Amino acid sequence: MKVSLKWLQKYFDTPLPDTAALAEALTFHTFEIEEIAGDTLDVKVLPNRAADCLCHRGIAKELSAILNLPLTADPLRQSPQNMDLRNPYFKVEIEDPKKCLRYMGAVVKGVKVGPSPEWLKEALESVGQRSINNVVDATNYVMLDIGQPLHAFDARRLRLGTGGWKIGVRSARADEKMTVLSGEEFELNQNISLITDANADTLIGIAGVKGGKATEITAATTDLIIESANFNGTSIRRTAQALKLSTDASQRFQNRPSPELCAYGMRDVLALIQEIASGEVAGVVDEYPTRPEQNRTVSVQLAKINDILGASFSKEEVMSVFTRLGLETNIEGDTFAVTPPFERTDLTIPEDLVEEAGRIIGYDKLPATGLPPVPETPDQARYRGIEKIKDQLVELGFTEISTQSFAERGDVLLANPLDKARPALRKSLHENMREALTRANYAAPLVLAPNQKPKLFEIGTVFPKSGEELAIEISEPVPDLPKKIQDDANYEPPQYHLGAYKPFSVYPFIVRDIALWMPSGTDDGLTKSLIRENARELLVRLDQFDRFEKEGRVSLAFRLVFQSIDRTLTDEEANGIMEKISAALCAADYEVR
Amino acid sequence: MRNGRLHPITIAAREIAYIFSRMGFGIAYGPELEDDWHNFTALNVPEDHPVRDMQDTFWIKGEPNKVLRTHATSVTMRKLEEMAKSGAAEMRWINPGKVFRNEATDMTHEAQFYQLDGFAVGPTGTVTLASLKGTFDRFYREYFGPNTRVRFRPSFFGFTEPSVETDVWFEMPGGKGQWLETAGAGMLHPNVIKNAGLDPEKVQGFAFGGGLERLIMIKYGIPDIRLFHAGDIRFNYAFDEKPV
Repeated sequence: MKVSLKWLQKYFDTPLPDTAALAEALTFHTFEIEEIAGDTLDVKVLPNRAADCLCHRGIAKELSAILNLPLTADPLRQSPQNMDLRNPYFKVEIEDPKKCLRYMGAVVKGVKVGPSPEWLKEALESVGQRSINNVVDATNYVMLDIGQPLHAFDARRLRLGTGGWKIGVRSARADEKMTVLSGEEFELNQNISLITDANADTLIGIAGVKGGKATEITAATTDLIIESANFNGTSIRRTAQALKLSTDASQRFQNRPSPELCAYGMRDVLALIQEIASGEVAGVVDEYPTRPEQNRTVSVQLAKINDILGASFSKEEVMSVFTRLGLETNIEGDTFAVTPPFERTDLTIPEDLVEEAGRIIGYDKLPATGLPPVPETPDQARYRGIEKIKDQLVELGFTEISTQSFAERGDVLLANPLDKARPALRKSLHENMREALTRANYAAPLVLAPNQKPKLFEIGTVFPKSGEELAIEISEPVPDLPKKIQDDANYEPPQYHLGAYKPFSVYPFIVRDIALWMPSGTDDGLTKSLIRENARELLVRLDQFDRFEKEGRVSLAFRLVFQSIDRTLTDEEANGIMEKISAALCAADYEVR
Repeated sequence: MRNGRLHPITIAAREIAYIFSRMGFGIAYGPELEDDWHNFTALNVPEDHPVRDMQDTFWIKGEPNKVLRTHATSVTMRKLEEMAKSGAAEMRWINPGKVFRNEATDMTHEAQFYQLDGFAVGPTGTVTLASLKGTFDRFYREYFGPNTRVRFRPSFFGFTEPSVETDVWFEMPGGKGQWLETAGAGMLHPNVIKNAGLDPEKVQGFAFGGGLERLIMIKYGIPDIRLFHAGDIRFNYAFDEKPV
């Protein structure tokens, strides 16, 4: 959710601090900030707060609580009840009140569609939206301001029946299609809710997602039908997913804003349209089949707050949090009885209030106390048993690998594999071991001594028909290896210190051997450094693999591995380096054999 | 004969197990092929939550009740159920284990990876968010080095309330420090305690979970998570190894 500093400032008389300070305040008390660009913050609104915080008002309210700055005026605390709810020309029919919780519609006549005033254009552009025309911009502005998705239809494109206009909300039929505002056509299914012109039974919108092309607001539009509705969150989420069409409206509805918000959205959008596009409100209908219960009072004791947080906050500190958040709170003794306003649907249990206290006061105010000591030794027997086997194998020269659990074939199949070629869960570690051993044999000269052959093991979960189990796989037989891993409470697995990761090249390598007679008076180590100096950075490994003395002379044999970090080496390059090494050795009185 | 090499995950898990064992934590395991109850429902993830969608979770053909666990918190749930049966007054476990997410892979994401999950519960008021802070302070300092610091930010998870995100201040040897996100955590949600058969008025505690590979990547400067489970021994040998 993008919010602009200028837009937020509208909510405060006191000048707000700069975006960096706002970002800091939000990060440590409410939400993470994804990006700061100029005067715009991209706020990562958490799922439990998306019902009330996907708008400037929501973020402003949070800032007001964190920074302890009062809001100049809070649109959600000004009752919209004085709206004129009469409309002889307009009806709404909701087929399934579980899918459409509320539908408010208004008719506005005689509007002048045109460009938006500068302040509005600027406001929308500051949060990455495109200005379209004054009517559409008004609906978007109010949504971004207080969170209620809104839509405007061209009323003249709807059929006027004897009883006036009639809006329907119903499920799509299997073969229905509709073209939305962007011009894209979508095939619909029965799980998708539609907005229809019920007099003509034509489709004018995909409920909660996007309006139809046929009733688009154009320069010729004079009369509007404004929608301020609330649709079932799950059903909107599924629709947006099925159509791969995620919109500002669908993202809000799927987070279940309170249906109470519809009236506030309608009030604000009608006022704004009349201000910037003139027109006259001919009437408003409000189809509200089942009003949700009012948010219940939640009680929490100061002791509980401090018990959960491990804090010693005072009654006054906690009371100040609730007051700043605008939560109606009564204190009796040490108990806070909090009645959240309608938009705070997330506050339902005492622990929710503990979180409000903790985050607004700040988690940095919590001490770091740790846990009291426990008398018994903790149970790590299973772990120690597994590690014991690993150490036995490592001592026998085996290296531990870890491989993927998905396989080409198996007894347990995934309903939705990521890789279609590996749709099963491995029933043994055998296949992966075979592949890993092939790779290890190839890579052996890079990591192992010349006389060392790779031996591998893996301990991992497998999924045979008989049920999930932990399997041990070894690349060659080991006598007396237990079939089942035994718990061992007393085994102490040794610890290792690892150095920083050294990236390895993915390009092929070249192996060369060299044998030589040493001149008298030199030693093996000096020979090695002489080779290294002349091979330079392409030599990635150097092993001495032979040494013998004959008639007073010493013979040495080395294996050299060449590899580049960023390209494939050619034989010619390797030969060139070997010649250079030979030449250098000869110059130092070695005899290359 | 020369010794082979342990996998870096094993080496890290040993170091971590040792730190937590000195704070009284045992090590628990549970099934990777988990039932819906332990992975979702008992952990207060509602029936129609987006995380249950096909694009986030691997489901099993012909077994609508089974998933590849999306977090090792399922082990926490199993342990809490044991606690309800045994009548124990407190528990501390870490659950390192493989978890699965149905998401595209890149340098920092794998469809299968290890999580270091854990929890501590005890009588009301004994295991608090401040205890978690202290536990993390000690764990990260011992694992990453003495200059490490821990901070919490508000977050949201279905199975904890309050929920926090944990950042760790990490300084590369000789290098610059930075804050890195390492684990989600919080106080176990009363519904989770209740679902385990325990009384949330009497029992409370913290839980945490984060990617194990991520900790190892931070500590040793490993650029790509896909190196871990490719069955390639060059990865084992990409570190100088010394016994402690």
